[in-house]
Amino acid sequence: MSRPIHLWAFLQGIGHYPSGWRHPNADPAGVFTMDYYAKVGALVEKGRFDAIVFGDQLQSRGAGGRTPERLAMPTLDPMALLSAIASVTNHVGLVNTLSTTYWTPEGLAERFSTMDRMSGGRAGWNIVTTAHPDTAPNFGDDNLPEKSLRYKMAADTVAQAQEVWRGLNAKLGGSPQLRPVFVQAGQSADGRDFAAQVAEAIFCSAPTMEEGIAFRKDMRERVAKAGRNPDAVRIMPGLSFILAENEAAAIAKDEALLDLADEALAMEYLSESLCCDLTAYDPAGPIPVDAILEATILPRADVARALEKPVAGRVPLGRFAAGYLRTPRGHNVFRGSPSQLADMMLRWIEAGACDGFTLQPAYMPGELEIFVEEVVPILQAAGALRKYYPGTTLRETMGLPLVPADMVA
Amino acid sequence: MTRRFILSASVAASAMADPAFAARVITAAQDAGLDLLLIGQTANLTLDPQVMAAWAAPRAGGLGIVPLVSTRIAHPFHTARALSAVDYLSGGMLGWCPVAQGGPAEQVADMVRATRALWDGWDEDCLIIDKASGHYLDSSKVRASHYVGTHYRTRGPVNAMRPKQGHPLLVADADSPFAVQGVDVAIVREGQACPAATKGLRRDTLSADPAKLGEQFASGLIDGLHCDLAQPLPELAQMAQRFGALAGERLASGTLRERLGCPLPAVLAPKTAQEENA
Repeated sequence: MSRPIHLWAFLQGIGHYPSGWRHPNADPAGVFTMDYYAKVGALVEKGRFDAIVFGDQLQSRGAGGRTPERLAMPTLDPMALLSAIASVTNHVGLVNTLSTTYWTPEGLAERFSTMDRMSGGRAGWNIVTTAHPDTAPNFGDDNLPEKSLRYKMAADTVAQAQEVWRGLNAKLGGSPQLRPVFVQAGQSADGRDFAAQVAEAIFCSAPTMEEGIAFRKDMRERVAKAGRNPDAVRIMPGLSFILAENEAAAIAKDEALLDLADEALAMEYLSESLCCDLTAYDPAGPIPVDAILEATILPRADVARALEKPVAGRVPLGRFAAGYLRTPRGHNVFRGSPSQLADMMLRWIEAGACDGFTLQPAYMPGELEIFVEEVVPILQAAGALRKYYPGTTLRETMGLPLVPADMVA
Repeated sequence: MTRRFILSASVAASAMADPAFAARVITAAQDAGLDLLLIGQTANLTLDPQVMAAWAAPRAGGLGIVPLVSTRIAHPFHTARALSAVDYLSGGMLGWCPVAQGGPAEQVADMVRATRALWDGWDEDCLIIDKASGHYLDSSKVRASHYVGTHYRTRGPVNAMRPKQGHPLLVADADSPFAVQGVDVAIVREGQACPAATKGLRRDTLSADPAKLGEQFASGLIDGLHCDLAQPLPELAQMAQRFGALAGERLASGTLRERLGCPLPAVLAPKTAQEENA
């Protein structure tokens, strides 16, 4: 009998590929309708997922002051989406990303306490700090607080929110989970230490099984050092996947999806990622590295480092942009058949590389439907994935302590 | 379109925080023929009615869902995003009622203006979504608002779509007054100073005289009735019994603005490119 596998669905707009919205089985207009989210909620519960996770930003994605016209842009507020999904589902957890930099402890604590009550105990909080400089002016600031201060603010905000939850639970009666499940996505040393202190589940990138094993081992040690039980923390690396009847067909499908990202879309995506409008440059020409460093609002050293290799190799701008689509933030990218994917997932679990996976469908809802129809039954037959939910709260579903230590009166 | 007598009620946020009870309240409000259900009462406003409104969105049907939005915890950028989403998810059945909870009234007005400015950063026809050509949106129809007010400064563009109704229905409570143009619905006691609004609702109790309300409606003095409820389930049934005849038939489809005959106020109408350049 295998260790139990936990599944999260990380849903970002219409999918994780920048070209995903153009796929015939993608429903890009649907993201503005309740029908779409009701369908997705039912699908995810059919697959016995622990939770739906939405990422979040507090700025519009831009390319140097311009909104890219080929990328699916307007995103709906995840709190609203998850609370509405709570209304039409019974079991799936609802993990909302929310910034400690631009929320007050009272505002976020009341929001999550309400979500936990309305969902019958299914709320989770992906605790993030805001790192994009374009966010500051949306909240009346000229500049972001500097990085170490942002981490200190995060710790303070969590502590103050815990105080608010204790007060609300005393005044109104406890919310089903007393507070949301804490999720964190720190990869840096600072981030890992913060996660070790507070996180009950950790989202990370692990491109290979070996990196997964190393990360999980490191995190479990840090958690133990922080005086907490490592078995009460779930490590959930990201997993991007493209499924077809065999590996060759999956690779062809992946290529076709990326081909939907024509050169113009690739240039828009790169512009958005570098925060610098590159659409006026010749794709056949060199990467305009000086102009990019001049115009970008992101930290120049980071951008310069990303460009170092392609500039040295004299890669044309258009080709660099197309290649950039293939590196979705360093996550594990699987291409193959459903049984190959199930085998890989079971192998990672057995090897202690993770406690489950944060699935990132390339386009929605088509690719997630294939996973639920074809991979989920294999995982269930192997005894790794539950056939029924064990309870109703996210803590029960994830096998976490039902009463967090910080909520004991 | 015939003028509709509007029926409105409020329920305490703490009561709506229980989903089983909230579901019964929404059904009872629909059965009572209510037009507007305010979530939260200023005197008893813990928790976040915006979350409850999102939860209620898939159940709204023909009921207008109106969360109280308090400057105690709300910020225009977060509010613009949440309300945009709930307006879509409810099929355009959202209103909002900004309140101060002891803070300055001017801050409420400023929050309303800032939130509207963020919504106006997106034109209603900005989405193209053409898979064949690969064009998702017309980026010339998205812009930063650069809003600078008395309490808030927010640049935009907000990462949310312009709401389905343009702006959700704006409800002003005369007990927590604020001064902005283009209020859609005002809730006012007899004799209380009334903010300028497209529709005025009389705040009264369940023992109000239906005949008198009918006369005031006919003469154009009021457009409907609002009751603050303490025991929502029995009281909604009583509202239907006492005042249902005043309300008459309701439109079976359309957004909240369409059903109530409250188009986006002219002062808020999107400017044409020509006007913007003038």
